[in-house]
Amino acid sequence: MAGSALRRLMAEYKQLTMDPPEGIAAGPISEDNFFEWEALIAGPEGTCFEGGVFPARLVFPPDYPLSPPKMKFTCDMFHPNIFSDGRVCISILHAPGDDPMGYELSAERWSPVQSVEKILLSVVSMLAEPNDESGANVDAAIMWRERRDEFNRIAQRLVRKTLGLSA
Amino acid sequence: MQLLISSVCMALTSAVIGNAYYQKQQFYPAVVYITKSNASMAVIYIQFFVIVFMFGKLLRKIFLGTLRAAEFEHLLERFWYALTETCLAFTVFRDDFNPRFVALFTVLLFLKSFHWLAEERVDFMERSPVLGWLFHIRVGSLLTMLGILDYVLLMHAYNSTLVRGPTVQLVFGFEYAILLTVIASTAIKYVLHAAEMRTDTPWENKAVFLLYTELVIGLIKVVLYLLFVVIMAKIYALPMFVFRPMFFTIRNFRKALNDVIMSRRAIRNMNTLYPDATPEELRQSDNICIICREDMVNHSKKLPCGHIFHTTCLRSWFQRQQTCPTCRLNILRTPTVNSTAIPRPADEPANAAAAAPAAGPPGAGANAAIINPTAAATHETAQPHPNGTAMRNPAVPNFADIFAETNNLGNGIPNLAGIPPPPMLSPFMMQPPFAYFTPPIVPPPPMPQDLNAFNEEELLSMEGNLRKHIEERIKMLRNISLMVDSANILMQQYQGIIARLPPPVHVLPPNPTVAAQSVPVATDAATAVGPATTLTSAPVCDKPSTSRASAVEVKSHEGHQNSVTTSNTVVNASEKVTIEDLGAEEDIVPSNDEASLDVDSEDSSELSELRKRRLKFLEERNKSPTTSDKAD
Repeated sequence: MAGSALRRLMAEYKQLTMDPPEGIAAGPISEDNFFEWEALIAGPEGTCFEGGVFPARLVFPPDYPLSPPKMKFTCDMFHPNIFSDGRVCISILHAPGDDPMGYELSAERWSPVQSVEKILLSVVSMLAEPNDESGANVDAAIMWRERRDEFNRIAQRLVRKTLGLSA
Repeated sequence: MQLLISSVCMALTSAVIGNAYYQKQQFYPAVVYITKSNASMAVIYIQFFVIVFMFGKLLRKIFLGTLRAAEFEHLLERFWYALTETCLAFTVFRDDFNPRFVALFTVLLFLKSFHWLAEERVDFMERSPVLGWLFHIRVGSLLTMLGILDYVLLMHAYNSTLVRGPTVQLVFGFEYAILLTVIASTAIKYVLHAAEMRTDTPWENKAVFLLYTELVIGLIKVVLYLLFVVIMAKIYALPMFVFRPMFFTIRNFRKALNDVIMSRRAIRNMNTLYPDATPEELRQSDNICIICREDMVNHSKKLPCGHIFHTTCLRSWFQRQQTCPTCRLNILRTPTVNSTAIPRPADEPANAAAAAPAAGPPGAGANAAIINPTAAATHETAQPHPNGTAMRNPAVPNFADIFAETNNLGNGIPNLAGIPPPPMLSPFMMQPPFAYFTPPIVPPPPMPQDLNAFNEEELLSMEGNLRKHIEERIKMLRNISLMVDSANILMQQYQGIIARLPPPVHVLPPNPTVAAQSVPVATDAATAVGPATTLTSAPVCDKPSTSRASAVEVKSHEGHQNSVTTSNTVVNASEKVTIEDLGAEEDIVPSNDEASLDVDSEDSSELSELRKRRLKFLEERNKSPTTSDKAD
């Protein structure tokens, strides 16, 4: 019998492949290592990210699900809640207790009840509705608030880039 | 790249050796020539390191196979730290600096690297989906070999220190002792992981074993480091090069200690406070532990909020957070309240008896329930009864204490559940009949004094929003309106009587009485009425309070006026607090059910019946020597 973290990840993988939610695909990069996943997230419809397919990498800690995984987009992203190196900054990925930005409610934080699916769905909704108070990428947050057109244009360029089209 | 470097190195070495041999023609002169030439020695040193590196690669291939990217990264990182520390160590022993010394440190670094790799491998066991027999053979032999080497080198260092006094061997002896503890903990982990893998079911106590291993090994390491620092500081200089590892060791040990304490607390809490989930409960839920996503067959616990988890899953979560994983109910707060609630029902009869020995006939249902508190209140306001106080004290103040305690205990994460669990209601239900009629001499009310002590979330969490709670509230409000109506009728009757009587001398005194006595009614009722009554302290026509007012009035006719009014000023002061407290928890509302159910069906005849009883009670009280006012 393998470790509990591994069993849980296997169970989640199974569930995600059997019953994949719309616009999301995720699974381990290699079957030898269940602690590193790759995820593909489709840009939510009706937003400036519509049409894009954004790859991301999830790294799970050995004590998953007691601690949250880390998520990082492996493509270029321009979004108020995504650091310029691709790290995602949403409350569901933060363990209760540490609050990097000092604004999150503990009810939104990580708990073992959360799952990969919920994380990815949260990310989708984050793409649709950025939280411009978090400020992982301050430039993006200001642009989102004040110059929405420009923001949309940059987002569209990123979308085309993820699809392999020239920007 | 590596191949290139080693071939270049090989070529250089052969060139150096060839050159020496070519110049001297003989073996010994050639050796002497090489050792005399710095350039040649440098080449030979580099060759030596390359050979060591290659040997390391070979061993790695044999014992570990290919390294994972993460393993390699960690190895590199640790290696560079170790290298800098070795260089720092050189500064302490600069007098003994010679090739042998460098060789010894190289061996140490070499062995250290394999210790780290072995550690990583064993940690990886838990996360690896499939492990063949090759893995076990490799890890087993590697651990054995490293253990033997460590032991041999440690003994060598020990003996040489004994024979030759403290030399650089002291450092090696200490380093190998540390490595031996690393091997020991790795071996224990390996055995635990392997044992778990052999079984088909998760091994529940493994986490606990691991925790204690960590703790013991951490303790040994800390002791070793401290000893070493002390010895080194005495003989040589302060060993700067062990400060970094020592710091990490102490930090790990602290964490292990903390983990063990938290784990023990979690286990104790779970064993004592939460019931095991029964098979029926498991059947009702979907029977899957949301933490590990596996079926719950046995060993599952039910939290006060009704959520069920595996015992082991809960334990490992509680080590980090004392909240329900699903609803984030703060589990440390709830049980404390619960446990204080247990003695409460038991206290109640005693209190009631002590407070109002001459109360209305027992078992008289609602009427008795209404009379009793009033009786208790009037009786005790009239005379500070030592007996009642003594009986009451143990029951009431500890609640406040404990509540304050739980507030401190709470780890800062407010309970956002918003669902006070049903079991919590019962203690509060029992309360109002006596808790709010506590005599003024026993000031600590059962609930915290000030609403300000609560933050918004805590207040929110007290306010149930389940259907049941709302139903209770509506029922309560209905009861209140009924009581107000009935009080109104009574008031009118009294006013009629008063109009017919000649104006009494003591018209004014009853006024404060009214205000004070109104409080019990308010507490009986609910928060909605509460504040209103306190505000209307002066006017006589305070509707909800009229029934009590009348009681007092009647009493005053009987000549106990003075004592009542004097004590009332005190009541006034303290009762206000009670009302505020009441606001803090609306859940006491259901407590009134029993009483108010009868109020529902109450008609005017019943009201007069009630009045008669009260009068009778007051008469009885006056007659009774034990309870009559000593103040008079």
